[in-house]
Amino acid sequence: MASPVDPGDDLFDSLRKTDPKKLDEQAKAIVEKDEALRLKQEQRLRDLIQSNSTLPVTISSIRLVGVRNTRRSFLDRIFNPIIGANRDTPYTLSEALQEAGSAADKLRRFDIYHDGISISVDKPPQTDPSSTPTDIDIYLQARERGRVSLKTGTDLGNVEGSAYGNLLWRNIFGGAESINLNASAGTRTRSAYQAVFDTPILSDPDKRLSIDVLASSTHKPWASHEEALKGAGAKFSWATGGGSSHQIAYTGMWRQITGLAGTASPTVRSDAGDSVKSSITHTWIQDQRDNPFIPQRGYLLKTISEIAGWGPLRGDVAFWKSELETSAAIPIPVPGIKGDSGVSFTTGLRAGMLYPLSVGFGSTPQPSRINDRFQLGGPTDVRGFKMGGLGPRDGADAVGGDIFAAASANLLMPLPRLGKDTPLRFQLFANAGRLLALKDRGDNTQKSVYDTVAQLGDGLPSLAAGVGLVYAHPVARFELNFSLPLVMRRGEEARKGLQFGVGINFL
Amino acid sequence: MPPKPRDKRGADEDSSAGQSLAPALSRQSRKFANLFAIPPPVKALFDYVPVLVYPPNELPRRAPKPAKIPSLYVFSNKEDAAAGRPSFNPSCLKWQAFLNIAGVKHRLVHSSNHASPTGALPFLLPAASASTSDTSQDTYPIPSNKLVKYAEDHGASVEESSNLRYEAYQALLDQRIRSAWLYTLYLEPLNFNAVAYPLYVSSASTNPLVRASISHQLRAAAEAELLKHSSIIDIDDLYSEADKAFEALSILLGEDTWFFGSEKPTLFDASIFAYTHLLLDDSMGWKEDKLSGALRRRENLAQHQERLLVRYFGG
Repeated sequence: MASPVDPGDDLFDSLRKTDPKKLDEQAKAIVEKDEALRLKQEQRLRDLIQSNSTLPVTISSIRLVGVRNTRRSFLDRIFNPIIGANRDTPYTLSEALQEAGSAADKLRRFDIYHDGISISVDKPPQTDPSSTPTDIDIYLQARERGRVSLKTGTDLGNVEGSAYGNLLWRNIFGGAESINLNASAGTRTRSAYQAVFDTPILSDPDKRLSIDVLASSTHKPWASHEEALKGAGAKFSWATGGGSSHQIAYTGMWRQITGLAGTASPTVRSDAGDSVKSSITHTWIQDQRDNPFIPQRGYLLKTISEIAGWGPLRGDVAFWKSELETSAAIPIPVPGIKGDSGVSFTTGLRAGMLYPLSVGFGSTPQPSRINDRFQLGGPTDVRGFKMGGLGPRDGADAVGGDIFAAASANLLMPLPRLGKDTPLRFQLFANAGRLLALKDRGDNTQKSVYDTVAQLGDGLPSLAAGVGLVYAHPVARFELNFSLPLVMRRGEEARKGLQFGVGINFL
Repeated sequence: MPPKPRDKRGADEDSSAGQSLAPALSRQSRKFANLFAIPPPVKALFDYVPVLVYPPNELPRRAPKPAKIPSLYVFSNKEDAAAGRPSFNPSCLKWQAFLNIAGVKHRLVHSSNHASPTGALPFLLPAASASTSDTSQDTYPIPSNKLVKYAEDHGASVEESSNLRYEAYQALLDQRIRSAWLYTLYLEPLNFNAVAYPLYVSSASTNPLVRASISHQLRAAAEAELLKHSSIIDIDDLYSEADKAFEALSILLGEDTWFFGSEKPTLFDASIFAYTHLLLDDSMGWKEDKLSGALRRRENLAQHQERLLVRYFGG
């Protein structure tokens, strides 16, 4: 009697007391089975596509599933060009899939859908009288991201700590338009409020128009003042392929130099007050580096050209400003190591010029103000000098200059034992720079620019060298260097010893 | 009641704990200090660099030329400042006249409130000392309320009127006449557009939006200042009070050359002059001239202004 009961108890027990190990194994088995099935399916699909890759097809419809807030007219601009009815020649199947894939990639880049837009292909039922035998339907499955996202946080940057709040409203009119409201308060940027409206043009993620308004107040201890900004601008940016992109921007900005420190120099005092800058800027970037923070190979070219105040632009300041930034990296082979050794040599060159113009259609060029002049020096450009440590100084204030040139050479080496795949590098560097104010040649601006450029070559440039550690975090590059200034001008502020730098853009 | 003694004991314990902690902490921090002290070989290296030091870079063109005399930052324009002509702002003009009377040599720099350490003009920036990177106390700007002391320190004979009535009359000037001045310059639309706008607004920026914003700020500030003293702005009252004040000042001056019968003009004469000059100066272009009309009727005040202008502003 007892025997039939016992196994029953066992069964009951075994159901009640689940062995976690067994469960794990079961779950693993299920996952493996799914995976195998998926792989098999994929393989079958690949074979199918492979064997049918040259099959002529026409895309009869594209359906985007899972999307509620996106405008039809917006999607039409992306899908219409690839739909069969709008083309003279039929696709092969692989072409059709490629086109659908690139459309999906476009959608992904609008940043309004979650990653992982899946594509599936179907044949319309042959019973439908309007369909032809070559017709296929394409289904894209996407999940829309939340339309409103709110973010708050704190940032620690180069000698700056800040707290921010950010409100992003995506896909406002169903065409990937967005509004971004940003407010932050910090130790250096005392307060900043910014609103940006951004929209792609003609459903092209590579052509964007944005309009922004901003109000901010920034503490500039290297020149004993605070700069308050209020302004608005519009930007149009477009990519031209091959890693190159352009941007044209108009900015109208009311700048106030105020809150001067007690020790502020006469030069800063004479520039205190209001000025309005109305300018058009063109920026061109060609980035061919394999990694923006610790490049092994490739180059970067960047030019910024700005014209302010001239002709119809008006405003209170007028100048032409040009800046060039280049950087190149080459891998250095180490005998005995196959492939990339991880050792690379990078070099950078930056130069800029501010050419005074006259406001409107006048004929007397305006000497530059402190908020338009260049600053040079600091852990992200000429290392071994303090922020704004190079160039003309009035007392303790870095008052900036109109013409500059700076260059650097860095040898990056992987750390022993950690290897080249870690984002850590040891670096040896030497960098040099010169920042000059335009010489006074009366109203003969041309002569004063020539004479100042000629002066760049007088003597050795201010120079510093050192060693350090570089860490390439996904969002920024961190450097801790030990540097020594070798050549400098009297008054320039060098930094002997350790210097810490955080930035996106290093010389 | 009961918690009190316990609280106290708790506090005592805390403080005693603090005392016993303190030496440990300081030992700790000394250790840290030693840790961060520069080791001698590195120190030797630091002393060795920079290897080469060139002469300093030249300053940009807008930097003021260094001067051997102090600079008085005032509301003015470039030409008037260079020529040492009277500022168009009463508080600037008061101190400008004071320095002229005291014989403190200075140059004028036209500027705005943003340049001032106190947020208001005028202030005096002492002449730069020989060494360029000197940031010692004597290059700090001197706000207007310290100018009397500065003048005395720099060898000027400052005659302070010790008259008891002095303060009463100073108050008359600082309240009655100043209120009427604020009203007539900033809140009287005719005068604001004709006088204040070109002087304070157009000079700041050429941009219409910025100008509108500055105009609004100026007028709001003047209104707020007037409402500090009374709950409503009664125009007739403001003008009649100013008229009475001028009358009182006129009687005070009488037939004397300077106020309170002194030999030499004092700071009080300078503060009277600051208003009378600007109200009587035809180049200001007053459109609503009730206030200057009231002043013109007091002939001895007008003569006082003329006298001070000729003697201390060279015309």
